[in-house]
Amino acid sequence: MAQVVIMPRQGQSVESCVITEWKKKVGDKVAVKDVLFSYETDKSSFDELSETEGTLLAVFAEEGDDVECLRPVCVIGNEGEDISSLIPKDGEAEAQTASEPADQASGDAAASAAPVREAEATGSASADGRLKISPRARHLAERTDADLSRAVPTGPNGRIIERDVNLLLDRGWTNADKAAQTEKTAEAAPAAAAAAAAPAAPTDGFTDVKLSNVRKVIARSMHASLAEMAQLTLHSSFDATQMLAYRALLKANAEKLGMNNITLNDIILYGVARTLPLFRDLNAHYLGDRDMIRYFDTVNLGVAVDTDRGLLVPTVFGADKLSLNDLAGEARTVIAAAQKGQISPDKLKGATFTVTNLGSMGIESFTPVINPPQTGILGVGCVTYRLKADGSTYPAMGLSLTFDHRALDGAPAARFLKALCDNLTEFNMLLAK
Amino acid sequence: MPKSQFVDPKKAFESGVIRFTDIPVCRYNKTLEEEKALYTKDDFMRIYRDMAIIREFETMLNEVKVKSEYNGVKYNNPGPAHLSIGQEASAVGEAYCLDINDYSFGSHRSHGEILAKGLSSIHKLGDQELYDIMKEFLDGSVLNVVEKHMNAGGNVKELAINFLLYGALAEIFARTTGFNRGLGGSMHAFFIPFGLMPNNAIVGASAPIALGAALYKRANHKPGIVVSNCGDGATGRGPVLESFNFASMDQITKLWGMEGRYSDAGMPILFNIFNNHYGMGGQTRGETMGFDMAARLGAGFNPDQMHAERVNGYDPLAVIDAVSRKKQLLLEGKGPALLDVVTYRVSGHSPSDSSTYRTQEEIEAWKAADPIVAFRKKLVGGAIAAEDEFDALHEQITNRMTEIMKLAINDEISPRMDLNKDPDAIASIMFSNQKVVSMDPSREAEMLMPKEECPRVKDIAGKVRKATDANGKPVSKMKMYNICDGLFEPIIDKFYDDPTLIAYGEDNRDWGGAFGVYKKMTEAVPYHRFFNAPISESAIVGSAVGYAMCGGRAIVELMYADFIGCAGDEIFNQMAKWQAMSAGILKMPIILRVSVGSKYGAQHSQDWTALTAHIPGLKVVFPASPADAKGLMTSALDGTDPVIFFESQRIYGIGEQFLPDGVPTGHYEVKLGDPDVKKTGKDVTILTIGAVLYRALEAAKTLEEKYGISAEIIDARSIVPFDYSKVIESVKKTGRILIVGDACERGSVMKEMAANIQEFAFDYLDAPAVALGSRNWITPAHELEEAFFPYPDAIIDAIHEKLIPIPGYVPTHNFSDLEKIERAKKGV
Repeated sequence: MAQVVIMPRQGQSVESCVITEWKKKVGDKVAVKDVLFSYETDKSSFDELSETEGTLLAVFAEEGDDVECLRPVCVIGNEGEDISSLIPKDGEAEAQTASEPADQASGDAAASAAPVREAEATGSASADGRLKISPRARHLAERTDADLSRAVPTGPNGRIIERDVNLLLDRGWTNADKAAQTEKTAEAAPAAAAAAAAPAAPTDGFTDVKLSNVRKVIARSMHASLAEMAQLTLHSSFDATQMLAYRALLKANAEKLGMNNITLNDIILYGVARTLPLFRDLNAHYLGDRDMIRYFDTVNLGVAVDTDRGLLVPTVFGADKLSLNDLAGEARTVIAAAQKGQISPDKLKGATFTVTNLGSMGIESFTPVINPPQTGILGVGCVTYRLKADGSTYPAMGLSLTFDHRALDGAPAARFLKALCDNLTEFNMLLAK
Repeated sequence: MPKSQFVDPKKAFESGVIRFTDIPVCRYNKTLEEEKALYTKDDFMRIYRDMAIIREFETMLNEVKVKSEYNGVKYNNPGPAHLSIGQEASAVGEAYCLDINDYSFGSHRSHGEILAKGLSSIHKLGDQELYDIMKEFLDGSVLNVVEKHMNAGGNVKELAINFLLYGALAEIFARTTGFNRGLGGSMHAFFIPFGLMPNNAIVGASAPIALGAALYKRANHKPGIVVSNCGDGATGRGPVLESFNFASMDQITKLWGMEGRYSDAGMPILFNIFNNHYGMGGQTRGETMGFDMAARLGAGFNPDQMHAERVNGYDPLAVIDAVSRKKQLLLEGKGPALLDVVTYRVSGHSPSDSSTYRTQEEIEAWKAADPIVAFRKKLVGGAIAAEDEFDALHEQITNRMTEIMKLAINDEISPRMDLNKDPDAIASIMFSNQKVVSMDPSREAEMLMPKEECPRVKDIAGKVRKATDANGKPVSKMKMYNICDGLFEPIIDKFYDDPTLIAYGEDNRDWGGAFGVYKKMTEAVPYHRFFNAPISESAIVGSAVGYAMCGGRAIVELMYADFIGCAGDEIFNQMAKWQAMSAGILKMPIILRVSVGSKYGAQHSQDWTALTAHIPGLKVVFPASPADAKGLMTSALDGTDPVIFFESQRIYGIGEQFLPDGVPTGHYEVKLGDPDVKKTGKDVTILTIGAVLYRALEAAKTLEEKYGISAEIIDARSIVPFDYSKVIESVKKTGRILIVGDACERGSVMKEMAANIQEFAFDYLDAPAVALGSRNWITPAHELEEAFFPYPDAIIDAIHEKLIPIPGYVPTHNFSDLEKIERAKKGV
């Protein structure tokens, strides 16, 4: 009996996933654990493994389609099997309905309420070629450069309404994005078409690559962060003598004691997690649209991780309650998952403060960008040697704190940074606390 | 019905006959010699002069209409001119008997009455008082013209005659120097300081208004009588007959005295019929009426037969004889009275009248009996004055009239309102917008007991002023302060604060109002301030208009909103228009309470807000919570404008659910025109009118709980005026709006508001603003009402189908465009 494969739900907040690649074609034999297709959420990518053996009989979504979670994606069964009852009824027919005036037949209002399921729009142009769109939706589209040609109208009478434009934006479907895509298509067009074109500007010397979803999310989030917040950065450093000595001690004995490999970054995470509870303005979310600031009882520490797919920030929950060893273990787990691109989307949110470390690349200080709605982010620099008054040197590690001036002022932010430096300078004492 | 009167079945079935007394018909037969004892030569000559002035004034108007020229002066007057040539003796005879304190109301054919009453008042006023009146009136703008441009030889009375003629003519020619800045015109000119009250272009409409003026005098113990003039044609109109009855009702003499505590005098009103034999072209006697003689009507209204009498209106002395006797009866408390003054209109109904309905022979016969010619002959024959005195008088009058006309048509001296320069000139007088706590602060209010002893006030003191108690549990109906209480509190307060306030309507007193708003108010308010009116909607509303014109404040009730039609003219033409038609001279502090029913079928369940909102000059409110009922009633009662106060029978018993501390005690105002956000939300705005608020709240709950759609609910509270700013703000946020009310949808206030919001917030809308009302049907029986009125499911359906489709939702109503177009095509 044929089996329907559905789009899994990866985390509670995920509503849909984009199919990035089909590994099997219709007609291919499929064995258990064969990869059927790859898909991604905004932040992670996954492979869907087959749980049954048979032949791939039908697929309901193409590469690039955004498929609602728990919706059928394909059917695996025996060749020649009747699968008509398994084909989703609301596929083609529904997309068509949405583009038609809702009142062509009386009492079909329910049909006009069809939720958005199809990624590719049929557009909302009526017979005379005019775009049916509400003034509010048009305004939003103009402001945001949304690509209305890809909108699926869900309003009454096949009208594009606000939520349809919002959906475009959620997918990053803007006119700029479309232009880039068109350009790429043009390049790939057959030589005949290229020859027919007038002398075009040379197209070699660069490559246009469509942004990945992760890139788009980062772009939007970072831009929004700088555009909407009042961020500024404080730089300081601390004497890392004690910390380096402690780290050397741990490194030498970790294996013997069955402990995790505790890195300098883990030590700094520990220092931050233990310092933050005294500075609640920085362990908070600034909710400006509601004129509110939300303080957290625990520290959920975001750890910025450089991955192949781009920047990801997995969260170590309850970091202030963890021992240094446990913290190091948890950090390693989430960092590894992020790097492999297999982290649960639920672990990519919920951070109350973030630490980002560019020290290993010789960066002394920088101005990290806050991950909204958090109110601060700590940048960790490399160790440099500084002169003391007596002419001797000491290892100094740079710390850069960016904070949101809307949420707190410079002095309290500076006090946090000083407390953190003090704690890290006297790290042995902090451990005792 | 008062319990003090016993309806005895034995008496009710007693055998007998109704006896009538004879109604005198043209019995005046005094000789001039006999009359010389009553009149000096001056009196006789003044009577003659006044008739001659009226004749010349109307001759001038006729010439202007017919030839566009009078005495060599050219002018074109496009406005109306309903002349009364031939009726001068009737008008002058009546006015001769009236004092400044006596008010006269008239009709569209009242130039003669205006001038007669004005001339009589000028004669009776002292020079200084007369001058002061003219000087103060409209900041002297009328007086200035005649003072500057005419020579009255230093004689204040001559100056005043110029003032009267000029003020009236400038009004007829729509000049800003007219008595009402040209806003009243020919059919409405009036001048209150001379006791010369508004005239009316609606046949018979003055009768209930004059009745209201008499009620004002009667209830506030003011001196003088009121004369309600109308033509014989007007006696076919309900409001006139209603007024005859209202003025005659037994309670005035039997109950209002309250066993000697207050006056038991009858209504001081004389209904005077200028019986010129025609209602336009319809002949009353012999064609359109059956009374043979109009005086017969009196016999139908009370045992006194309204002291009815028919007199010769072509003889000023016969009219004076009759009017002075009737006035005496009224002053003795024996009113009302009725006079049938036989006269004839030689001129046409209007200049376009070609007299197809009467013969030339008939006209000539009446011309031969011309009252002015006859009176002159009588005076000459009685050696009171010589012919040349009359010739000189006529020459003087013609010259004066020519001079006045030149002034009145001079655009420099008598300009028209410049609506280009001052575009708001009329807008600014549509409402008076004042706050006046008491219309007569000089007097104490007459009440039967101190306020704190009033049983209803005591009842309310023990009530919980919220729908839920401190633990959030619903308060029992008996203990809960409801909308009836919210209406009652400001009304009882106003009874103590404003001595002029009166309240009446059908079943107001002992019953406590059909829906209990006035329950236990009887104990506190004397009869003459609070009574049961006859089932006479026209007279109820019309009399309130007259009451307000005289300076009083009235709150009248029509029970069901469906009865608005019974008082159509009084609401739409009288209550609404007089403030502006008087150029802001009159105030109209009237509250008309109407209740929207349910369960009572097609003629007792209609929300007619749109009808009243359509008419310029009315304020319209419809509160839906006890606090809003109280706040809006307080503001309406403090104001000086007519307010149609809609109430709903669905929710009289509802408690306060919105103000966290309940309905405020003491003085509490809600500004007219200010809508109120009853619940905040972000996805869709629902603007409600009236009782549908609670159904919208139910719908909002379902939307939120089942579909994750958050609705913001705004109660319009007022309809006219209405401040859209809160609604626009809400729509900017939500992008979607549904306007809901119980009125039939076509032409409704919801449609009007939807159109406006669409204009004002177009760029913010995600869907057109949608109106949802009842179906364009008759209201069916209660059991079928869900298909007719908007209930929560219809509200959700409309949101789903017209504003924001809800995934997976299946509507039960068809609101599609196609369906609506089809319904419109069928007119349903």
